[in-house]
Amino acid sequence: MAILEIKHVSKFFGGLAANSNVSFEMAQGMIMGLIGPNGAGKTTLFNCITGYYPPSQGDVIFDGHRMNGLHPDAVCKLGMARTWQKVRPLAKMSVVDNVMVGALCRTNSLKVAREMAIERIKIVGLENRAKVLAGSLPIGERKKLEVARVLATQPKLLLLDEVMGGLNPTESEEIIQLILDIKEIGITQMVIEHDMKAIMRISDRIVVLSSGEKLAEGNPQEIVSNKAVVDAYLGGD
Amino acid sequence: MRSFMHNMRGASVFPILLTVAGATALFLLPNFVESTYALHIMILIFISVIMGTGWNILGGYTGQYSVGHAAYFGIGAYTTLILMQYHQVAPWYGVWAGVVVAVAIALVVGSICFRLRGPYFVLASIAVAEIFRVTALNLRLTNGAEGILITDIPPFKIGNAVVTDFMSKVPFYYIGLVILIFAIIVTWMVQNSKLGYYFQAIREDQDAAHSLGINLTTYKNAALAISVVFTSMAGSLYGLYVGFIDPSTVLALDLSVHIVMICIIGGIGTIWGPAIGAVILVPFSEALRSNMIAQALIDSGIISENSRIGAFLKDQLSHAHVLIYGILLVIVILYMPDGILGFARKLLAKRRKEAA
Repeated sequence: MAILEIKHVSKFFGGLAANSNVSFEMAQGMIMGLIGPNGAGKTTLFNCITGYYPPSQGDVIFDGHRMNGLHPDAVCKLGMARTWQKVRPLAKMSVVDNVMVGALCRTNSLKVAREMAIERIKIVGLENRAKVLAGSLPIGERKKLEVARVLATQPKLLLLDEVMGGLNPTESEEIIQLILDIKEIGITQMVIEHDMKAIMRISDRIVVLSSGEKLAEGNPQEIVSNKAVVDAYLGGD
Repeated sequence: MRSFMHNMRGASVFPILLTVAGATALFLLPNFVESTYALHIMILIFISVIMGTGWNILGGYTGQYSVGHAAYFGIGAYTTLILMQYHQVAPWYGVWAGVVVAVAIALVVGSICFRLRGPYFVLASIAVAEIFRVTALNLRLTNGAEGILITDIPPFKIGNAVVTDFMSKVPFYYIGLVILIFAIIVTWMVQNSKLGYYFQAIREDQDAAHSLGINLTTYKNAALAISVVFTSMAGSLYGLYVGFIDPSTVLALDLSVHIVMICIIGGIGTIWGPAIGAVILVPFSEALRSNMIAQALIDSGIISENSRIGAFLKDQLSHAHVLIYGILLVIVILYMPDGILGFARKLLAKRRKEAA
């Protein structure tokens, strides 16, 4: 059974269609790549899925729940968590406190939350930075903190918005490994990424958006050989 | 990890001991201090600490800078005094009635104003407080601009035994101290609970907090409610102590600013920040207001009373307390953005680093 179904989702801002009639499904445990040129509507689709905007038309069905109109906090409690393209560390709180805020979504006990947080911090490899203020981390570690924090909310589905953006090749490689590790744990992921090599490596399936519409969907091999996709990216006629 | 826990415990025992010692000293103080003026200043400090600590939960921990907390101070004061003066309700019930009314009104205001963020929320909070001031000025219930003067406070009895008759300042001192300790304990509990983590997450980044499963409206309102409990109690205590309230004292914008100043100067989002801020600000503004500083300068012979400067200071300094307040605020924000407590912590950390 599909964990996430996007059914004919459209989002209009005034007369502008940021998403129009996008539909696809995600199976449990897979990694779905979401790609497209700048302004294709990838982040808008994320926002529609996670409750930041209600979709103008269509339905988002997650784990049997219809998500339209749910607020982000309710979405998180149902088991869907997201990271942000522009990282949002809780700057004046330590790394472990940041992750604890995520963990407190599932428990009221600080002690349990701290244990859960330390576990997630180990997964992303920030254990020796646990007591540092989040605001003083360099960008690579902020991205990892972001992932640890959403992992602590115990999601079934994780939406990663450009977690590799602005990273050097070594750091990107670490994040790729991290995404594959998370897949091993059994968490389904949807990944927005501009780095084509990375996205081809990690994705089981890829959806291509262009000007708000779904241009193509398939496994990585199908996508690289799809003429419409190549045209959209390289500007064919 | 183990040594980390150990360190944390080692570090937390000392402040607790210090706090208990300080509280004991404050409890014993009235036995040794004869001066009613000293007690008067202490009571004013307590009231300021209580309202500052209340504001700190909302402004300091949750990051919602309300510059309208005088509204809740005033609502607490008016409720208690109206009930006592016109309906013969004893103040120890009236204080709680004040809390209930203030929190109920705060939650209505909060569910409207918390849709706004940053400076817009600040402006809305000022506007709301002004609405209450103008309302109190024109309502018969609150006796308009004349305010409410209380004749006398009924004695506090348990059974038939009179605990206190409120004839001296001492009972107010102890009531203030107990509420203050209660406020500090609540702050400590908030800081060390899920609430505290959620409040701080909202302060640091609302959207991130929202996406991590935090219901913003619920938790902002929770912070407001806790905050208003203490602000309202401070108001009731003030009204009972001074015996007279009117819109221009308990509902004034000045008062809202004073509450915020206490926290900014002491250190926002810390347990002891408001206490430190009040201990510095209250005696300072009292000294200015009662012309003590000018008099001291003249008495000590630094400035002659007959000189131009001496005469000027003696005439004008007491009117300048708001100006000096402003200058103080500018200095603190420029050089100590985390308040005196934050500044002291930074110095300590620096020294420790140099030692290591």
